[in-house]
Amino acid sequence: MKLSIRIWVLIIVLFLAFLAIAPWHAFEKGVVIKSIEKNSTASEAGMASGMVITSINSRQINNIGDYTNAMNEFFPQQLQNRTKLVVQTKTKEFILLVQEAPRITVDSIPSTNIKKGLDLSGGARALIKPEKALSQGEMQDLIAVTAQRLNVYGLGDVTIKSASDLQGNRYMVIEIAGATPSELRELVGKQGKFEAKIGNETVFIGGERDITYVGRSGQDALIERCFDVSGGVTCRFRFAVYLSEEAAKRHANITSSLKVNVSESGRYLESSLDLFLDDTLVDSLLISEDLKGKVTTQIQIEGSGTAVSQEEAIKSAQESMKKLQTILITGSLPYKLEITKLDTISPVLGKEFTKNLIFLALVVFILISAVLFVRYRKIKITLAIILTMFSEALITMGIAALIRWNLDAPSIAGIIAGMGTGVNDQIVIIDEAISHAQISLKEKIKRALFVVFAAFFTIVVAMLPLFWAGAGLLKGFALTTILTVTAGILITRPAFANIISRIQKE
Amino acid sequence: METQTRSLDEKLRWYDHSYKIMLIIPVVIMLISLVYIGYFYSKNGDIMQKDISLSGGTAITIQGDIGESLETGLKEKFPDVSIRKLADIRTGKHIASIVESSSQPQELKEGIESVLGYNLTDENSSTEFTGSALSENFYRQLLITLIISFILMSIVIFILFKTFIPSIAVIFAAFSDIVMPLALLNFLGMSISPAGIAAFLMLIGYSVDTDILLTTRALKKREGTLNERIFGAFKTGILMTFTALIAVLPAFFIVTGLPDSFRQIFLILALGLFADIINTWLTNASIIKWYCDKKGIK
Repeated sequence: MKLSIRIWVLIIVLFLAFLAIAPWHAFEKGVVIKSIEKNSTASEAGMASGMVITSINSRQINNIGDYTNAMNEFFPQQLQNRTKLVVQTKTKEFILLVQEAPRITVDSIPSTNIKKGLDLSGGARALIKPEKALSQGEMQDLIAVTAQRLNVYGLGDVTIKSASDLQGNRYMVIEIAGATPSELRELVGKQGKFEAKIGNETVFIGGERDITYVGRSGQDALIERCFDVSGGVTCRFRFAVYLSEEAAKRHANITSSLKVNVSESGRYLESSLDLFLDDTLVDSLLISEDLKGKVTTQIQIEGSGTAVSQEEAIKSAQESMKKLQTILITGSLPYKLEITKLDTISPVLGKEFTKNLIFLALVVFILISAVLFVRYRKIKITLAIILTMFSEALITMGIAALIRWNLDAPSIAGIIAGMGTGVNDQIVIIDEAISHAQISLKEKIKRALFVVFAAFFTIVVAMLPLFWAGAGLLKGFALTTILTVTAGILITRPAFANIISRIQKE
Repeated sequence: METQTRSLDEKLRWYDHSYKIMLIIPVVIMLISLVYIGYFYSKNGDIMQKDISLSGGTAITIQGDIGESLETGLKEKFPDVSIRKLADIRTGKHIASIVESSSQPQELKEGIESVLGYNLTDENSSTEFTGSALSENFYRQLLITLIISFILMSIVIFILFKTFIPSIAVIFAAFSDIVMPLALLNFLGMSISPAGIAAFLMLIGYSVDTDILLTTRALKKREGTLNERIFGAFKTGILMTFTALIAVLPAFFIVTGLPDSFRQIFLILALGLFADIINTWLTNASIIKWYCDKKGIK
């Protein structure tokens, strides 16, 4: 049976969609690491989010239950001595020496590549409006600062981006999947207080008043050197920071009364420079002896990153450096933030929704197939329509998986609505094909396709404005509807027309 | 065979006489709808009842049956509070309650917790808050979107058919498909969410499907009589609307546990499809027939 080009195109596209969705992940055993606490044993050993744990101390870990049981068994309470934990992931083996369960959060491996929107996974969504209009660059800085703060809380699944609406207002959209910290409002609404203190005294704060320049490239910010340490490599970075006169004088005053400590890494003052963001300590820097009592507007901030290999150590050092640079530059935001929209969706409700959605899809499929079979009485035709409905949904989900699009409730409504249009189009084609008009089959199909294309254009045109209206909150609806009907027009409709011609010819 | 064709013939000839009368029914319904919306506007200052995300405020969904005392308990501190119950369609069991108020989420949450006596957590509740400035923006923008989409759709129709009266007939039918459900929703006192307005947008696309089919068959084909062609389009069109209804009704009637805003999309689509049956096959068809009779298209 020779298949035409159009049908081949359909088959190939379906196959690609299947690959993009990757449903075989459902059979994968293990748990995936969602987040790792900074400076914890696990993070220093080189473990990272995204890795899949398959066994611990030779014990198979197939799912969350296994992991929880194992942790409860190994660490019924905090242990007296550190014990060895051999954590096997898909790619590497990590050996940790810990007294309690590693400070990581894990989750079951997602069964497909499809990213579930908040309505399905639960979580929080916030729309933040800065009190003054921001430029592109300022918006990027705001996003960086916010990502920074959310990171401190160890939140794994966070997406932050900017959005604008039809009136030109700019918003920052934050989406956190999974559980929501109850402090979310505080977290995202605050301007951001940054302080560098020695002991209890503030030396300088973030922002323009005290910091006039932060080195970001070239000689002003670089990775100085790397050296081996037990268990890995440490790379040290440094970058230049220019303080204002006032801040420099403060620094001199405070450090002049401090004693010097001599240790194997150098001669440093007895107190360190502690960096606080919104009253939480984010880093402690050693102050070199030469800075004692000196009014110096130019200081070097140093730090390091440690990892298993030099490459990773460099990366870790760069990230730490960037983090500090961001804090020092942005510190306190010069404008207020307003939370214009805050939605929290319970993960429990999200799961309910997913279940019911699948049930709904099945019900609709069965009902439509039944109606069409009653009307046309031919199994082949009914099967052809079911195939195209299924194809359109699959293609849209494949594209969504590919572009990492979050499928939320409006997106799914869009797919269902798009499929409804698809069925309508098939009916138009079939009725035309089986009509008794005295013209060729090809002509009839052409006529049917005129109606189909007309319907296509009106829907696309109706959906387009939704991409911008209301800060794009209904973008999902517009996108999936357009994707589904486009997949219909370009791929499934032509293939379907072909299939119908063949069935008619028989 | 002979009797069948003859009765079909009779039916088709009957159409020749009665199509003008059939036009009256939908036009009357349309006028009633417009009048009602006008009345609604004068009473409420807007053409539709807006839900909390379009008027500004907080909506907290609480799982489980929480009893009747909540509303009275909250009324004092939150005078504009309203509570809606979500029940399982089949069992009638009370599965969740939605508490809405124009106040801030923290306040409302604490108020509810003090009346109920337990904490609202991630597990048993969901919150939705929209600031009033944002919601006003949303609302205005969504309405503008609706108007723009409608205009764009009209342009596409004119380009397709290139003739004035048939195009106007399609556009008028699409307009009625939006106006009639809106009037009904207002009458029933339903609050419309942003997703609901998106459903109206979707309706623009869905409803012209059948009108385009009718107009294309009536004007472009040449076999059979005009009445036969219209009847043929009717058979196809009714099947299309019927299957579309089958796609949207289960979300509202058969499956529960779906978020309200989601179900609203399907409810509005369903109402629009019902309206479409009247508007396409009574209004649009009659106008087309009139036009064809005038132009001598048989």
